[in-house]
Amino acid sequence: MKPHFGRMSGIAVVMGLMLTGGAAIASDNHIVVAPGGPHPYFAVWEQAAADAQKDFGIASVKYRVPSDWKLELQTELMESLASQGVNGLGIFPGDPVGVNSTIAELKTRGIPVVTLGGCAQDPTDAVFCFATDPYKTTYTMTKALIAAIGGKGNIVHITGQIIDTNTKLREDAVQKAIDETNGAVKLLQTVADTDLDPTVADQKISALFAASKDQIDGIIATAHNSSAVTAKQLRSLGDKRIKFIGFDDDQAVLDDIKDGFAFGTYLQNAYGQAYLGAYALDLLASKTCTMKADAPWDKSPQTVHFIDSGVLKVTADNLATAKDEMKKMATGIQSKFKATYLNCK
Amino acid sequence: MSTTDLAPTPRARFEIAPQLGLAIIVGLLVVVFAWKQPGFVSSFNLFGMGRSLAVDVTVGFSQMAVLATGGMNLAVGSIGVCSVMFAGYLMQDLGLPVPLAFLLAVMLGGLLGWLNGFTIVRSGVNAFIVTLASANLYSGAMLILTKAQPINVLPPIVSSIGSYEILGYASPALVVALVIGLALYVFYRYSVPGKETLMAGANARAASMSGIAVSRSIILAHVLSGVLAGVAGLMVVARVGAAMPAVGGEDWLLPSFLAPVLGGTALAGGFVSVVGTFLGAMLVTVIRSGLLFVNISNFWLQLFLGLFLLAAVLAQRYRGLFRMRLT
Repeated sequence: MKPHFGRMSGIAVVMGLMLTGGAAIASDNHIVVAPGGPHPYFAVWEQAAADAQKDFGIASVKYRVPSDWKLELQTELMESLASQGVNGLGIFPGDPVGVNSTIAELKTRGIPVVTLGGCAQDPTDAVFCFATDPYKTTYTMTKALIAAIGGKGNIVHITGQIIDTNTKLREDAVQKAIDETNGAVKLLQTVADTDLDPTVADQKISALFAASKDQIDGIIATAHNSSAVTAKQLRSLGDKRIKFIGFDDDQAVLDDIKDGFAFGTYLQNAYGQAYLGAYALDLLASKTCTMKADAPWDKSPQTVHFIDSGVLKVTADNLATAKDEMKKMATGIQSKFKATYLNCK
Repeated sequence: MSTTDLAPTPRARFEIAPQLGLAIIVGLLVVVFAWKQPGFVSSFNLFGMGRSLAVDVTVGFSQMAVLATGGMNLAVGSIGVCSVMFAGYLMQDLGLPVPLAFLLAVMLGGLLGWLNGFTIVRSGVNAFIVTLASANLYSGAMLILTKAQPINVLPPIVSSIGSYEILGYASPALVVALVIGLALYVFYRYSVPGKETLMAGANARAASMSGIAVSRSIILAHVLSGVLAGVAGLMVVARVGAAMPAVGGEDWLLPSFLAPVLGGTALAGGFVSVVGTFLGAMLVTVIRSGLLFVNISNFWLQLFLGLFLLAAVLAQRYRGLFRMRLT
């Protein structure tokens, strides 16, 4: 059976919550979790929403997807949901800056909004952001790649859309890790705009390999589709010399790790983001809990109300045990969430 | 020019039909959606729809201005985003007052439109090719200059304009769109440059032989288109309270054609419908919002819009054949 960690981590969170008394008092809240547009990363959110509804006794937790990655479509969806009586929204911001005005309007109508999987840029009225820290994760990934290539050589960064502010953070993080090698490692190229359209990604990464395959010692991919396409191309090239560190759990990446075409990948806690997001929104919308003013927030370059949803490094060494490690991480976050961040009546 | 107020000759009655039919369809859809989900006509949703409608209408007017000459402007979104980022730069980095920044940003839109028109006239190359190239040129230059970073420390008045509710229902942007529509109606119906633009679009050779400066009309149309694209961009700036590089671009291309074409504006030039463009944008906005309310996936939106667009184009073709029979 091929491993699929997004779903596995979800099951793990459910089990953890049941063990820790997560089956809360039934509520009449209507919660929605909505990504910024269609993307395979969010596929597991639908199950997470259904599980959260069942496990916490919430009237409804729905997963709604704008038909395209356009901020306008997401804000229209948010406004429409508010008009339909939804009283808690968890969103991946279609744009970290542009979404703020809608969040502010919803707040004035008493609807709490949390950002999941990605943050809104401060100043924002989003209650908190529960996501992977793009800067910290990319820095960690780059350090791991540098170690994997022996501390010297040329690396390539394959990343998402250039108009995504997270892309700039990722580029900065890669550069910081490279600068710390004092010239031993060089950034050969950054290939951006490879996340939303796999066809475009395929063309760009093909061109990259055609032009400079022999000069590349390591590749880091910091977006879901970018990672999946790179993994497929490395396999088709039959190249095990280039060290590749991917992102998320596309089956192509996991297979590459197993067969030696990829050094490793970093898994995000996608399921946990939606599941715990719905849990928190239910408590906030019920007015039974408020956020602690002195909660131990992490800080990200985008917001000072950041909660790291965590990542897990997976290599051939822990491919088989990654499931248990994800379970440990997810249950750890959940078990402490209410006590750490909320004041409840 | 809109024909909704022409004398009811057989031909005029026939040409009123598209706008009337569109108005009936929009009205029916509003009734159906409101019946299925009363929240559809809640003040919050009407306000939100009005704000989206204002942008769609203005983008549609921007395209309509060039369709009047028989051309097209594929750079509507690119000009819009250039105005957006320029306005942000003027307000945040140079600290200019909001009205002045908005005015200069709209002027930049007009300048970029003028460049399009000038290139088309001087080179003789089709508007499709020229504006396709300039769309990439303008967007590329904007991304290089701004490094794709949003400008989000704007004066608070900017977002206050965007969130201001007139009588609890209407957005100031919608009022601006209505005023623009009225001005365009007057321009095409009563002004000499407006009439000349339509004549140049209907038959450039005949217009030229009648002493109309066709080249000047084409350039004017593109300037007008650029100005309107800039205004649409500024509506978005007010809406989100920030200048973002993701605004406009290719996202505006389909809406820019949908509104005028659904409204009866002739793709071949020589005939525009201001009222129809407004109704066309309204149809798109109502469907988009209504589908969200009746819980039909927004993925169906593309299907519906495609069907309506095809029906509008076929109706235009049918009207053309009918006119030929009448004459």
